[in-house]
Amino acid sequence: MTRSETLYTVLKSEKSPMAKGYLVLEDGTVFEGETFGAECETDGEVVFTTGMCGYQESLTDPSFRGQILVMTYPLIGNYGVAEEYYQSKAIHTRGLVVREYCKEPSPMYGSRTIDDFLKFYGIPGISGIDTRELVIKIRTGGTVKGAITTDAEGLEETIKRLQRMPAPSESNLVSEVSCKEISSRDNGKDITVGLIDCGTKSGIQRDLNARFNVVTFPYDTPADVIVESGVKGVLISNGPGDPSHPDILKTTVRTVSDLAGQLPMFGICFGSQLIGIAMGGSTYKLKFGHRGCNQPVKCDNRVYITSQNHGFAVDEHSLDGTDLVVNQKNVNDGSVEGVVHKNLPIFTSQYHPEASPGPCDTSYLFDWFGRMIREGKL
Amino acid sequence: MRKDYKKLMVIGSGPIVIGQAAEFDFSGTQACRSLKEEGYRTVLVNSNPATIQTDTDTADSVYIEPLEAANIAKIIEREGVDGVLSGMGGQTALNICSELADSGELERLGCSLVGTQPDAIAMSEDRELFKETMERIGEPVPVSRSVNTIEEAKEAVKIIGRYPVLVRPAYTLGGTGGGIAHNEEELEEICARGLAYSRIHQVLIEESVLGWKEYEYEVMRDSNDNCIIICNMENLDAMGIHTGESIVVAPCLTLSDTDHQRLRTAALKVIRALNIEGGCNVQFAFNPANGDYRLIEVNPRVSRSSALASKATGYPIARVATKIAVGYTLDEIPNRITGTTCAAFEPSIDYVVIKIPRWPFDKFRTVDRHLGTQMKSTGEVMSIGRTFEEALLKGLRSLEIGVKGLDRVEVTDDEIREELVNATDKRIFVMAEALRKGWSPEEVADLAKWDIFFVRKLLNVVKMEKRLAEGLTPEVLREAKRMGFSDETIADICGIHQQDVRAMRKSEDIVPVYKMVDTCAAEFEAQTPYFYSTYGHRSEAKPEEGKKKVVIVGGGPIRIGQGIEFDYCCVHGVMALQEEGVDAVIINNNPETVSTDYDISDRLYFEPLTLEDVLNVIESEDADGVICQYGGQTSVNLAVDLERSLKGTKTRILGTTPDDMDVAEDRRRFSKLMDELGIKQPKSGTGYSFEEAKAIAEDIGYPVLVRPSYVLGGRAMEIVYSTEELKTYVDTAVKVSRNHPILIDKYLTEATEIDVDCVCDGTDVYVGGIMEHVEYAGCHSGDATMVLPPFTLKPKVIEEIVAIADKVALALHIKGLMNLQLAVKDDEIYMIEANPRASRTVPFISKATGIPLAKVGVKVMLGKTLKDFGLKGYRSIDHYAVKESVFPFLKLPGVDSILTPEMKSTGEVMGIDEDFHTACYKAQVAAGNKLPTEGGVYITVNDQDKPRIVQVARDLKEMGFTIYATKGTSTFLREHGVETVPVFRLDENQKPNAVGLMRDGDINLIINTPSLKSGAVRDGYTMRRLAVELEIPYVTTVPGAEMAVGSIKVARSEKLSVRSMKEFHNLVN
Repeated sequence: MTRSETLYTVLKSEKSPMAKGYLVLEDGTVFEGETFGAECETDGEVVFTTGMCGYQESLTDPSFRGQILVMTYPLIGNYGVAEEYYQSKAIHTRGLVVREYCKEPSPMYGSRTIDDFLKFYGIPGISGIDTRELVIKIRTGGTVKGAITTDAEGLEETIKRLQRMPAPSESNLVSEVSCKEISSRDNGKDITVGLIDCGTKSGIQRDLNARFNVVTFPYDTPADVIVESGVKGVLISNGPGDPSHPDILKTTVRTVSDLAGQLPMFGICFGSQLIGIAMGGSTYKLKFGHRGCNQPVKCDNRVYITSQNHGFAVDEHSLDGTDLVVNQKNVNDGSVEGVVHKNLPIFTSQYHPEASPGPCDTSYLFDWFGRMIREGKL
Repeated sequence: MRKDYKKLMVIGSGPIVIGQAAEFDFSGTQACRSLKEEGYRTVLVNSNPATIQTDTDTADSVYIEPLEAANIAKIIEREGVDGVLSGMGGQTALNICSELADSGELERLGCSLVGTQPDAIAMSEDRELFKETMERIGEPVPVSRSVNTIEEAKEAVKIIGRYPVLVRPAYTLGGTGGGIAHNEEELEEICARGLAYSRIHQVLIEESVLGWKEYEYEVMRDSNDNCIIICNMENLDAMGIHTGESIVVAPCLTLSDTDHQRLRTAALKVIRALNIEGGCNVQFAFNPANGDYRLIEVNPRVSRSSALASKATGYPIARVATKIAVGYTLDEIPNRITGTTCAAFEPSIDYVVIKIPRWPFDKFRTVDRHLGTQMKSTGEVMSIGRTFEEALLKGLRSLEIGVKGLDRVEVTDDEIREELVNATDKRIFVMAEALRKGWSPEEVADLAKWDIFFVRKLLNVVKMEKRLAEGLTPEVLREAKRMGFSDETIADICGIHQQDVRAMRKSEDIVPVYKMVDTCAAEFEAQTPYFYSTYGHRSEAKPEEGKKKVVIVGGGPIRIGQGIEFDYCCVHGVMALQEEGVDAVIINNNPETVSTDYDISDRLYFEPLTLEDVLNVIESEDADGVICQYGGQTSVNLAVDLERSLKGTKTRILGTTPDDMDVAEDRRRFSKLMDELGIKQPKSGTGYSFEEAKAIAEDIGYPVLVRPSYVLGGRAMEIVYSTEELKTYVDTAVKVSRNHPILIDKYLTEATEIDVDCVCDGTDVYVGGIMEHVEYAGCHSGDATMVLPPFTLKPKVIEEIVAIADKVALALHIKGLMNLQLAVKDDEIYMIEANPRASRTVPFISKATGIPLAKVGVKVMLGKTLKDFGLKGYRSIDHYAVKESVFPFLKLPGVDSILTPEMKSTGEVMGIDEDFHTACYKAQVAAGNKLPTEGGVYITVNDQDKPRIVQVARDLKEMGFTIYATKGTSTFLREHGVETVPVFRLDENQKPNAVGLMRDGDINLIINTPSLKSGAVRDGYTMRRLAVELEIPYVTTVPGAEMAVGSIKVARSEKLSVRSMKEFHNLVN
């Protein structure tokens, strides 16, 4: 594995591992803490997740591309880091903010530390932060840009730079995390499905592999290539950034809209938003997103606790006049959690049925996908 | 969807016992409020008067009646109840419901169980059924066999293949009678005990998962099959130590998400399989070596753990479970914390919660302190911090066991090794000491079977101690405070005063902030007025400016001597403040209680009750007043220091001034005052050496009551009958010295003891109640059986008692409540003590009379007068209320059941009726004393008591009882015309003797008054202990025997009526 390509400047001076550091926000707020992980500076969109464990899954979730992750749970790294929990081959967050990180974890899962993990992938962290206060700031003011720095002298400069800096979602983050080549995997199953990789989590691959043979396509694969590959259905994965980014509209959205009517489709998270757009709807940016393992979703009068990680959502009103119907809603704020197509075998979930991290209550959606492929309808 | 019911009943859990504490007052109260909100008519039944749920406004009808199936059925019929909530009153209520359902009684009454259904109860309680159910859904349980005999138990071990095995009795609470058997001999012993305790005479022999990790999940499910997890919890102590005895942290800290989800999914499968609608607790054993798990136990009801989970997350489990029980689904129930979302979500928390049990070993010095599968703790504390260390240190200093944190203990390496392997209540302190001595965390973790993660946290604390010892700089101070160190600990380590640490903190601006408990890790804006302190950026507690604010200092953990009564008083204090338009602020750390329900006060601070922590809250609140008289000794002890620290601020100590409180506490000042008032006191003196004590005792005349001057609440108090006993006492129980003298009082033999509770506003005095003890003076008033109003005192004596209360209250300038303890001998009244605070009997009196004394007390503190309430003087009532105490002897092997000046009871019940004997009988039944209506009675009394016991024996004989008696008593009774069967004393080594007859079931009641001389009390120990284990009622005084006879007559008449509290109070008015 390589160090992830750099958006960061490595500090030249030798610093102790407990060096004083700062989390700087574009609105001028500065939190003082101690840095850990890689000795470098970073910036990005500051977002928080309320999951109480599963930090490793979150760090390696490609959907966090471009973001500095704040863990609301104050003790992070307690059970160390284990190979089996990676959601991709690298850390994708640009930084990690915690109240306290664990230097000597519980040995149940091996004893690799989160500090070592961050160092290995060149990602800085900052601890000793009043993360609850930070979260209240984000909740009230909305998602902000921020930086982790050790340069006490240059704080003013950092704030100005953050204010000028474009939001990370303005670049095509999907291209940074999608696979580059088509690959296929025979699991000895009856059905072969396609996975459009916008930055897929390995949890999705795990749940697909358990049920299907899987062909994985880069995000910008045209529809005809997919159809010709002979797959019987397509899953559009999660991914980072803005689903209405021009590069995405030209590529994945186009593919999805071309596939409609040709193949059954299931969209997860970013994939759900792409289906919404492709069918004529639109998306908007949530004030501070849904990130955590406790989001209640109502579907068919039942409530499911779901794992979520998204900053954008499908605008319910934009679906008026389209062929999509909202069939799942967030119980807390009423936002769209899933749509189905009136006529075609297409459905989505804004949340993560593959969990990783989070509850597995909705993993049956993968079975629905299989049934939809077999029966031609949901 | 809401279902229709004419009237719903909530059954409480009865008296506080080990394994069932205040948590069910909390859940039952929430349940009643929750039903009221929905417009249901409600009935509540509980035998425990010291509860908020038995307040007449909790339900439409409140009954304080014995919790027995037959009684409950009567109330159901009388009230026209058509639904009974089964899951709100612990194992007690669940057992009653299951009994009523099994017998077909419910069906006959046209009443259904609401919430947990009989089949769910059976599936979770019956081990075999539970195992079958789990096997059906593919969830692993330990290999086990249910057995009904010891022979079957041995067979079961063969199938399991190895020792040790666990022995768990079915249908008991708190693991009573269970144990771990390492060999066949132990198996026989534990099985014999377990079979006796089990309601269905069944025990489970089970594969041992000792040393595995223990995790708990709190699950909820509604009728629409929506399932959520409220909280998960990790036991620091491995399997083998009951979860009620373990230090517990929430959420789980050492589980990966994948393993957490495995257990979560399993917990959901379980609640679905049991078809529970409501809340349930699922316990897992988890093998850290390979990730295997076993399902250990399911509680299909709210529990101690669910109370903890409610307080740990802010999610009101009992309230929501109640709504689910009557048909609502989770998404139909609003989440009152955010005000915008619903109850269908899983709380996410952003802090560490720690629960630490509170054990009664300070009271029971002879008890085996080892922790195991049987609960011995009486209560618990909970603490919240942003780090583990912070929460732990706050929790430890909340315990009120004289420690300020991870205090030092003196131990050798051998003792450390022993303690780590065989834990007692001291283990965590020994672990820290081992680390201080240079033991490696690996070694400590390995021996104690703790996850090393937690041991390293202890090491962090130890390392910080070292840094503090090297010199106190602002940086180190800041770090130590962030780690949760108290000012006191820092002061101790640095050799300075606590006030200096406080001053340094303030000058460096190191002050705590208060963070909110909001169920959602700040994701949503919340309105919960529920806070904990930490050292961070910004405080979220925003007391309303311009509004008057009063802080009530709570009662801390439930322990012997300080029970739920004080929580009742604090809650009533809150209500009174709010009724007067004042913001009521509670500080407390007991997760079981109603006072720590965030719905009760205007702001709740979950904090230790030390001077530092209380002052911090007062300062943050900018409070106008503090009430220290309602939280029992915990809060009273803070009064003087608080007053000193608050000098020059706007905050006042409300009510009686600390100086006047001191007059009452200081023997010299108090004696002087009594002399001035012309009130008699038993002769007394203070001895600063054994010789002095001996001289005083001889002057006063034996027997004398002795106690050390420096402990309160009757600790180490004894009656001694001779110089030799005095010598033994001085040598073993206390160390007498210049600084620690012992106090010696004349012990008035056969005096009647009286408790009086009154309110004074500075001008007038209202005597709320006069209670006569059934036992002679010398039995701690917390243990005594009390009767309201007095049943033997002459009117003239009562008048005089009222006059004394009046004089003393005015002389002490009481503003609020006062309790008096008096002794009456030959119509002469002696003052024993005056307590210028809310007493243990306040709720009992308030329930018996309908006058809310605690509320009146607070309103008086705020400036109202008794005239405003039309209260003055004394008024008796037309019915009888009897308070009976409940004892933990069954759970604590090695404790003598004889009643002494040291309090031993954990809880109380009330029997109330127009007829004195019926009230007594109800109290006995409620307390679980199984008075026989036929069979044999064993009588052995001292010479003084012989004349008075004749009538008792005669009455029993007339009712058809066989009277067994020892030689002396037997001869005396025969001479007075009562035929007896003579038996031998134990030391005569001949048969028949009492012990043999007891074992054979021939003796069903024991009347034994020990002779008042040295050693006699100890001689009966074997018999008393056996009586405890065989649950044979045991009476140690003649008045107690007379009361028992009266009660037995009532029992035989089978004419027991039930009546609601309002009906009794109407009798008063």
